[in-house]
Amino acid sequence: MVEDGRVVLADALARAAGIDRGTGVAAARMLAPAITLLARSRSREAAALQTLAGWAGRFTSRVSVTPDALLLEVGSCLRLFGGLDKVANAVGEGVQAQGFTAALAAAPTPLGAQWLAQAGTAARCSDGVDLRRQLDALPLDVLPERIATVLHGFGASTLADVRRLPGAELARRIGVGCRQLMAKAFGELPDPRADFVFPDRFALAIELPSSVENAVALLFAARRLSFALSGWLAARQSGVREFSLHLLQRQNETRLLLQFSAPTADQRRFERVLRERLERTTLAAPVDSLRLEATQLTALPGRSQTLFNDSNDDREAIGVLLERLAARLGEAQVYRVAVHDDHRPECATRQLALSAAVTPAARSTLPRPLWLVAAPQQLAEIDGRPCRRGPLRLLAGPERIESGWWDEGEANGDIRRDYFIALASDGCWLWIYRDARLPGGWFLHGYFA
Amino acid sequence: MKLPDYAELHCLSNFSFLRGASHADELVGRAKELGYCALAITDECSFAGVVRAHVAAKQAGLKLLIGSELVLTDGIKLVLLAQDRAGYGNLCAIITLARRRAAKGSYRLGHHDLVRGVPGCLALWIAGAQATPDDAGWLRDAFPGHAWIAFERHLQPDDKRRLAALRELSAQSGLPLVACGDVHMHARARRPLQDVLTALRRKTSVDDAGGALFANGERHLRSRLRLARLYPPELLAQTLRIADLCNFSLDELRYEYPQDDVVPAGQTPAAYLKAEVDQGLAVRYPSGTPAKVRQQIAYELALIEQMNYEAYFLTVYDIVKFARAHKILCQGRGSAANSAVCYALGITEVDPAHSEMLFERFISKERNEPPDIDVDFEHQRREQVIQYIYAKYGRERAALTAAVISYRTRSALRDCGRALSIDSDRIDALTSSLAWWDDPDQLAERFAEVGLDANSPRVEKWLILSKQLIGFPRHLSQHVGGFVISRGRLDRLVPIENAAMAERSIIEWDKDDIDALGLMKVDVLALGMLSAIRRALDSISARDDRAFRMQDIPRDDPAVFAMISRADTVGVFQIESRAQMAMLPRLKPCCFYDLVIEVAIVRPGPIQGGMVHPYLRRRQGLEPVSYPSPEVESVLQRTLGVPIFQEQVMQLAIVAAGFSPGEADHLRRSMAAWKRRGGVGHLRERLITGMLERNYSREFAESLFRQIEGFGEYGFPESHAASFALLVYVSAWLKHHEPAAFLAGLLNSQPMGFYSSSQLVQDARRHRIEIKPPDVQHSDWPSSLAGSSALRLGLRQISGLGRDAGQRIAAARPFIDVADLARRATLSRDDLDQLAAGGALATLAGHRRQAAWATAAVPLQRDLLREASASETVIALPAPSEGEDLVADYASLQLTLGRHPLKLLRALLEARRYVTAATLRAYGNHRVARCAGIVTGRQRPGSASGVVFLTLEDESGLINVIVHPKLAERQRRELLSAKLLGVFGVLQREGEVVHLIAKRLVDHSDLLGRLPTSSRDFH
Repeated sequence: MVEDGRVVLADALARAAGIDRGTGVAAARMLAPAITLLARSRSREAAALQTLAGWAGRFTSRVSVTPDALLLEVGSCLRLFGGLDKVANAVGEGVQAQGFTAALAAAPTPLGAQWLAQAGTAARCSDGVDLRRQLDALPLDVLPERIATVLHGFGASTLADVRRLPGAELARRIGVGCRQLMAKAFGELPDPRADFVFPDRFALAIELPSSVENAVALLFAARRLSFALSGWLAARQSGVREFSLHLLQRQNETRLLLQFSAPTADQRRFERVLRERLERTTLAAPVDSLRLEATQLTALPGRSQTLFNDSNDDREAIGVLLERLAARLGEAQVYRVAVHDDHRPECATRQLALSAAVTPAARSTLPRPLWLVAAPQQLAEIDGRPCRRGPLRLLAGPERIESGWWDEGEANGDIRRDYFIALASDGCWLWIYRDARLPGGWFLHGYFA
Repeated sequence: MKLPDYAELHCLSNFSFLRGASHADELVGRAKELGYCALAITDECSFAGVVRAHVAAKQAGLKLLIGSELVLTDGIKLVLLAQDRAGYGNLCAIITLARRRAAKGSYRLGHHDLVRGVPGCLALWIAGAQATPDDAGWLRDAFPGHAWIAFERHLQPDDKRRLAALRELSAQSGLPLVACGDVHMHARARRPLQDVLTALRRKTSVDDAGGALFANGERHLRSRLRLARLYPPELLAQTLRIADLCNFSLDELRYEYPQDDVVPAGQTPAAYLKAEVDQGLAVRYPSGTPAKVRQQIAYELALIEQMNYEAYFLTVYDIVKFARAHKILCQGRGSAANSAVCYALGITEVDPAHSEMLFERFISKERNEPPDIDVDFEHQRREQVIQYIYAKYGRERAALTAAVISYRTRSALRDCGRALSIDSDRIDALTSSLAWWDDPDQLAERFAEVGLDANSPRVEKWLILSKQLIGFPRHLSQHVGGFVISRGRLDRLVPIENAAMAERSIIEWDKDDIDALGLMKVDVLALGMLSAIRRALDSISARDDRAFRMQDIPRDDPAVFAMISRADTVGVFQIESRAQMAMLPRLKPCCFYDLVIEVAIVRPGPIQGGMVHPYLRRRQGLEPVSYPSPEVESVLQRTLGVPIFQEQVMQLAIVAAGFSPGEADHLRRSMAAWKRRGGVGHLRERLITGMLERNYSREFAESLFRQIEGFGEYGFPESHAASFALLVYVSAWLKHHEPAAFLAGLLNSQPMGFYSSSQLVQDARRHRIEIKPPDVQHSDWPSSLAGSSALRLGLRQISGLGRDAGQRIAAARPFIDVADLARRATLSRDDLDQLAAGGALATLAGHRRQAAWATAAVPLQRDLLREASASETVIALPAPSEGEDLVADYASLQLTLGRHPLKLLRALLEARRYVTAATLRAYGNHRVARCAGIVTGRQRPGSASGVVFLTLEDESGLINVIVHPKLAERQRRELLSAKLLGVFGVLQREGEVVHLIAKRLVDHSDLLGRLPTSSRDFH
């Protein structure tokens, strides 16, 4: 992982090649040409800590997040988990299960624990004496860099060395900040922390009175959950684009993802989609309980009751229809058509998933037919002139389209065609082209009318 | 059907950056092939490509029109074509105006700038879809009788409607219609590359560029048959009328040297030059000018007068005079610089009385090329000289030449890859090393390594397009120091635009263009060694209290040559590199001319041409010196029959192959452009047949050609080598006789040269120079002489300490204590910390820790000072260990005056059976040995096929290690990342030169602990 052109974290393979924290990017490439370099993302790190903090709520209600560490107050729940080591192990395993590695340390003070963890000691201090002993041995790196540099200049290399320097004289030289930090870590000053506020997310489970074998029979219980969701969303003036319904069976769990064309908090839509979906679901095993989860909220602008039936509702009505179609036919069977910027007619539109965001494209001024045939149809020729139920009359053209070399061999590929608008004897306006490459020939590509 | 005649009037070359997809010569060649009557090159608001087009058109015999496409701020698009010299000058001025008022790379030109048209230019209006009669009216009034409406047909659906609309506009306004092609490429096949360029311009990929790409490939030079089908005949005929109205050629440009600025009123340039030369000679030769020199001066002055070059020499003289008046050391080099005239004028110090070279060789009547003088100045003061030139001649008359930055393999791969949506990480990985580019076997493997299939269609396209893109100009940059100065306004000769650097402006032509048109330029270059020499001379002068100048250095000192022959040349100009040092003991230079050869021979050109070994063998008497003919002997005698200088190659072409001087000059230019453009096949043919006709053996002819080919762009002229050799001698003399002053000069001019401060200091200490640490009680800001031959490091050596603070300290010393220092030198907390870290407070406050403790207590409010130091508990901090001091020394000073780090580790190293560099030097050839040292240099010369040269340093000296490619590949990690490296190897000795051929590398960096070391890698 790289930040500001330098490696900040290297895995074992990279370290074996001589790459470690501080190696420059160019040097890293020279040492291992096939290396994968990932850019460090502070925001993703912060988000990961937030997620872990939310998860850590299962151990204690008092969690706090610092930029580099997660602090769990476990003193009050030791009995519940059966001792410090057990809690620590449970936390470590839990973190690992989520794909993270944790440097864990436990101490009577939050800062002490953080420093011990940062120094990689894996300490489990239970009392003040132990804490002092462990902290004394720590190098200066745990202190802010600027202070550590100055202290280093005085010949100190551990926290114990710092504590040996005369207090008042030291404070005059480097200020009182360092002393206060040390006092907090050593438990000589109180160090209150702001508690982590657990995030808003909706998760509600319902135990069924008896096992249910028919999916439709679940609807009643599911409705109750969607009611709760709707109310909860309303209180937050928010909506969801999707939620998931988990069907908990004895051995496993089935997860149904329900999606909407636009964020909504409307209980009737929830219910309709739930119904469509459950009707198509076949249960492999009886279901004991249901859980509904919604994680990604979108703020819904507050809306007053409208006096007239405005277009907003129409659009919502179409949305409702699409959702029903998708629920009936399957998500993949319903798609949007979107304009795509490409000179090649067959590449000028694209199929997008229903829930994909659509950016309106600029309207082209070029003459293009409304209906493009799926594959160009070869036309008969008489004396080199194109025919379709009689000879065609060329009204406009040629328009030469010559583009697409870059995906030759992958997709549509390069074309070179001269397009004409042609009138057929039956009055049809056609879009035809002549392939400008060998062997050539005339093709029908679309209908104007 | 008879094909209609046609002239293309709207055509962009690749100097319309990221638009045009063909080189000018491709366009010219294709237009000629298609039978066009003329071709206009109309790059967008630029003349940067016109000289190349001019040269190509002359060669092809095609009429070339010069013009420019301009898009005005209100969207009107015009092509302006120069009819004559005046029109060309006006168009230059318009482009200059548009470019100078916008940021680099862009331009701004409004409607109002063209209200009165551009006299001497024709205007073609590239009317868009929204063309209005008002615009047509405006254009007709601005260019009365000189404006046309262009119809450009590219097979769009509305072609017919547009033509009808333009016809109507034409009827209303009276402006005639003309056919144009808006050509972006010479052939349809360039369409993919043109799309790539468009995508790059839009900062996107071809996949996503969509409508930004042209809908088809019609913007190429189309055959006249196709044109006849696409355009009405009267529109095609109109192109010929326009071409007939334009009759300007770049050959008409008459450049005039500045004159009034450099010649006092009332004097002719010739008389003034003669007077100044005479005066100079009187100073140079106080006891009378030697007859040989007098004769030479008379000959040169006659030649200069004949060629009208007085003003040129006087211009350079004026610049050098300015430098001298401001005590800026400078030295001229180049074809005319080492003339007796230049010696008399003080432009060079190469004394013609002692020189074997002839001015005739450097300036020739037949070639009629302008004389060429480059002047090197002290690197930190060159800007002063540049500003003087701007101030003296003004920005309308003086500007830097451009350097055209072109696509190289790496940048071409990068940009093409980006345009083809290839993942940037993979591009980076593949372009970090390009060994696979020329080696198809490696290619597939390297691509597979990063997860790409070398045979996939996209990768194939990537490689093909990258190859096409190589050599395309990418942008204009400023040449390092080439000035063009003119008598009249320069912006009527060539457009001037802004450079990236503020306060700089550049003309749109590079040095090849200037060469091709025969314009004069003066190179104002920066050279670090001149700074170092000037400083060394200054400190000697100060010590002895009498001026000591470069010309006061005694010539031909055998002791100096003996030192050079020992390769004891760390810090000496040019001959301090590994390759040079290896050569010196073999070459054993014993006179000035030997140094001239030395400077030229260890260069990629002679090495690739295979000249080095024949010369060495002949010099050592191992091979007889023979010449195939007396003519060849006359050329090669001074270099023992082996061509070493560029001038010799040209002369050989003349005497042995029958080239005319002009052709030989063409050969020289082709040599320079070899690598970039290729295409010297016809010259090869010409050279070899010419030599066979003159009864030279084919073998000799072929080997000469190979040598020329090897020279490539690296050919080094004797005229430059002579000037460099003088600096070699001067710096070597200083190193031998005034080592402390020389070291001070080098240290005070860092960064420069091949070695770091630490390496220079280590070398000086091995030569028993006493070096004292920086100390606030004794040091000046720069390093200075302490007594006759000791050196006191300056406060500038302390990293992070500001110059102003350092100078205040030097002015206010001595001090009573740290508080006194802080108060009287008004230092900040930061300054104090840096001084403590650098150990510069030792005499004032004790060892580093104690000093840090003392400085930290000084409060920032200065009025509280006295009071604050009152009530302190005095504590004694433990002194840092030797190792800790060493680390601190390196961190602050980048060098140590303590024991060498390896000295501290010697016991550990001995246990591992490593010997010192000194021990190694005494070993015999082929002996197995182990050595360890700090890696101070890694080099992989292009000429050595994958071999890596390492330089290790221990307490006794330097160890030269050779790592063969196989080992380099196997122990890549140790090779590239070890700071302290152990080498198991076999000694290779050639006379005094000792190399350790590595068999195994061991990384011992962990022994160094926290000691930071710096290696100067891969120059």
